[in-house]
Amino acid sequence: MALVVPFGQYVPGTSIVHRLDARMKLLVTAAYVFALFAVTGWVGLLLCTALFVGAYLLSKVPLRLVLRGMKPILILLVFTFLANALTFSALPLGEAPLVEEVTSYPLPESIALLGSFGIKPPGVLRGLYFVLRIVLLVSLTSLLTYTTPIVSLTDGLISLMRPLARFKVPTEDIATMFSIALRFIPITAEEAEKIMVAQSARGAVFDKGGPIKRAKAWVPVMIPLFVSLFRRADELACAMETRCYTGQGRTHLRVIEMGEIDLAIGGLSALVLILLGLLL
Amino acid sequence: MLSFAQVSYRYHGVTDPALTDVTFTVAPGEHVVLLGSNGSGKSTLARLANGLLLPEEGTVSVEGMSTSDRATIRTVRSQVGVIAQDPDNQIVSTTVLDEIAFGPENLGLERDEIITRTTSALEWLGLTGYEERDPSTLSGGEKQRLIIASILAMNPTYLVLDEPTSMLDGAGRAEVRNAINSLHAGGHGILHITHELSFARDADRVLVLQGGRLVFGGTPAELLNNEELLVSFGLKVLPQRVSALPHTINDRLLAALRPVTAPKRWRERGGVFPSLYLNNVSFSYGGSATAGGAGKKRRKKSGGVAESELGGDFRGDFGGDVAGELGFEFEPGAAGAAERVVLKGVNLNIAPGSYTLITGNSGSGKSTLLRILAGLLEPTSGTATFSSGDKVFPSAVGIVFQHPESQLFAQTVEDEIAFGPDNLGLLPSRDVRGTVVREALDAVGLDPRVFFHRSPFSLSGGEMRRVAIASILAMRPTFLLLDEPTAGLDAAGRAFIHTFIEQLVQATAGVVVVSHDVAEFSQRAQAHLLLKDGQLWRL
Ligand SMILES: Nc1ncnc2c1ncn2[C@@H]1O[C@H](COP(=O)(O)OP(=O)(O)OP(=O)(O)O)[C@@H](O)[C@H]1O
Ligand SMILES: [Mg+2]
Repeated sequence: MALVVPFGQYVPGTSIVHRLDARMKLLVTAAYVFALFAVTGWVGLLLCTALFVGAYLLSKVPLRLVLRGMKPILILLVFTFLANALTFSALPLGEAPLVEEVTSYPLPESIALLGSFGIKPPGVLRGLYFVLRIVLLVSLTSLLTYTTPIVSLTDGLISLMRPLARFKVPTEDIATMFSIALRFIPITAEEAEKIMVAQSARGAVFDKGGPIKRAKAWVPVMIPLFVSLFRRADELACAMETRCYTGQGRTHLRVIEMGEIDLAIGGLSALVLILLGLLL
Repeated sequence: MLSFAQVSYRYHGVTDPALTDVTFTVAPGEHVVLLGSNGSGKSTLARLANGLLLPEEGTVSVEGMSTSDRATIRTVRSQVGVIAQDPDNQIVSTTVLDEIAFGPENLGLERDEIITRTTSALEWLGLTGYEERDPSTLSGGEKQRLIIASILAMNPTYLVLDEPTSMLDGAGRAEVRNAINSLHAGGHGILHITHELSFARDADRVLVLQGGRLVFGGTPAELLNNEELLVSFGLKVLPQRVSALPHTINDRLLAALRPVTAPKRWRERGGVFPSLYLNNVSFSYGGSATAGGAGKKRRKKSGGVAESELGGDFRGDFGGDVAGELGFEFEPGAAGAAERVVLKGVNLNIAPGSYTLITGNSGSGKSTLLRILAGLLEPTSGTATFSSGDKVFPSAVGIVFQHPESQLFAQTVEDEIAFGPDNLGLLPSRDVRGTVVREALDAVGLDPRVFFHRSPFSLSGGEMRRVAIASILAMRPTFLLLDEPTAGLDAAGRAFIHTFIEQLVQATAGVVVVSHDVAEFSQRAQAHLLLKDGQLWRL
């Protein structure tokens, strides 16, 4: 059992996307996110889509896995779409600059369904635009986590953060915290589930009554969960001390060596993306 | 030499010392087993060994370096590796390789040296090929071996292992036991802390801790062949005849087991209760994203059926699909598998007054089977019913989960035990409440006068387990399911569990125990079933 998180777990592979330096991947991802939000029309967005599809094909990650990343945000997508597509036609339409580009003829402002409530064709387009943008955002981050071991990601992140260490930012500690969080979130989720089932077996009900009653119903879950978390934290601290962790003077097994190819591919893609964002 | 000299230790705010005047040494290449019952101070001693705790009196030293000396603490820690009970609480990294490299990286070693050490540690513990695996996908035995490997990569001279096998199943125990023996053969000094006698045979020397004091030091044979000594150290409890126990406990138990929650027509039959059946039950995890939602709907419906048949005096609603509500989902271990079939057409008959043992490897689906038997989980196909035709409902089938003490939450033992029956609406008045709680405490052998108002968190591990069991018993189930009831308990705790179960069976409760400790339960249970490949096999 695992907590559903919008990023997946590393899928080992040897594709060029897998082999690209993690720091470069992070930079390219950042540039992509920039482009995604900087472009202001369908042309730009479709180009972004094409770039993602290219990266996805190169990565050889199964489509199923990329789609799985959508599951947790499905409701958000549906809501985004509906919020844009449906309208009370009495309300002003608002600017829909995205519309002109694909339609040269005027769209009806609203197709009434029930009284003033109806479908708004320009809104449908805008809804699709927003949905596609979220889908791309999530897909690309999933692709990043599917093709990069979390460790390389944290190491990459740390390495990019390294200049901050000069300003006394505890970069090593942040890296370790990140890795521990990744390990313990699923463990804690599983534990919470176990305790809930056990308290259900003692007749506890979590989904009945008013807000106060519901909040109170969680007490028998939260207290054991905290007790256990404190115990785990204590044992984990001992395990880390045993292995001489201080957060200082650490060396690294995985040194990420940035090859020329990495620099070239990464630099080029980042550049293209930034230009894309600025121009379209 | 790892040496303890007149070491005493007291936890902050506690009057009784956890360790008193402990003196012993472990030489490089020596294999020492330290035995002791629950609360005897074993874990405290382990933490003192490399300066995780510092002695109040006396000194702990390694090759002459005191653990209290901050200047040499890093050397001390890399010389003495301490491995604790629960591997899940010791793993820091998200891949096997990084976990093993964690210690050497902290020591600031050169990269080449880190590679040499991780490679040899991987090899030594048979983990070569596992480098990029996510530790959470490993079995218990593999996880514990990973921890040992990651300590080994620090190049220690001594290894202190605090009950490294107590969370593991049979296969995992064997793996870790072999690992310990091969480390010993490789010249490491081993201090293996345990409350299991069987490990003593591997040792060169055995120490016994009792009430924080070292009470024995000698060869394994000297201890193991002397039953009187074992009994006096609390390492062994002589079997007691149930009939020799005070008869009142049996009466109380019977009273406690009178199922008030049972349907009226059961009660009218004068205490003759139906059997519990599994008919062709299959179960699989995962699959579609809506599996949780569907389960929830199904359960709501089944709850309705039970309620109408009970003529309204059954008020429990058992929380629906708990996992679904939290937004978790059952994910198959390996990325990609769409569905994991756990049970395939299981048939089972649990009669009142019967005692069934179910064993199986970890991951074989024992816990799933128990949840279905308890009516907490709806089978994918097949049914869980009583022979009376009623669908299984949770209040008639009590379930004591593994480590039930980790579900305690209330401020007093009274509130803790009353929680279940209160939720079921069984406690109309304060008097009834007091009686139910007292009966349940009696049934688990705890004196109500002493324990009624105590905080569950102030109790010892063994007492907490008993309170947790009492809190299930107080709901007056007709059947009791126990998942690994003896896990982590010492000889006295185990003896209590066995007597308790025998009394339940005499009081015509149907008991099912799930355990990997075959030797311990198989001669006591009436039927022994093995869960393997999704099916039950009679042994
Ligand atoms: N953090 C703590 N604070 C206060 N008292 C503690 C703490 N940890 C342990 N103790 C007490 O110290 C004594 C020794 O505990 P310890 O955990 O060392 O025993 P143990 O032999 O390891 O027991 P077990 O077999 O249950 O693991 C016990 O009485 C225990 O209640
Ligand atoms: Mg202990």
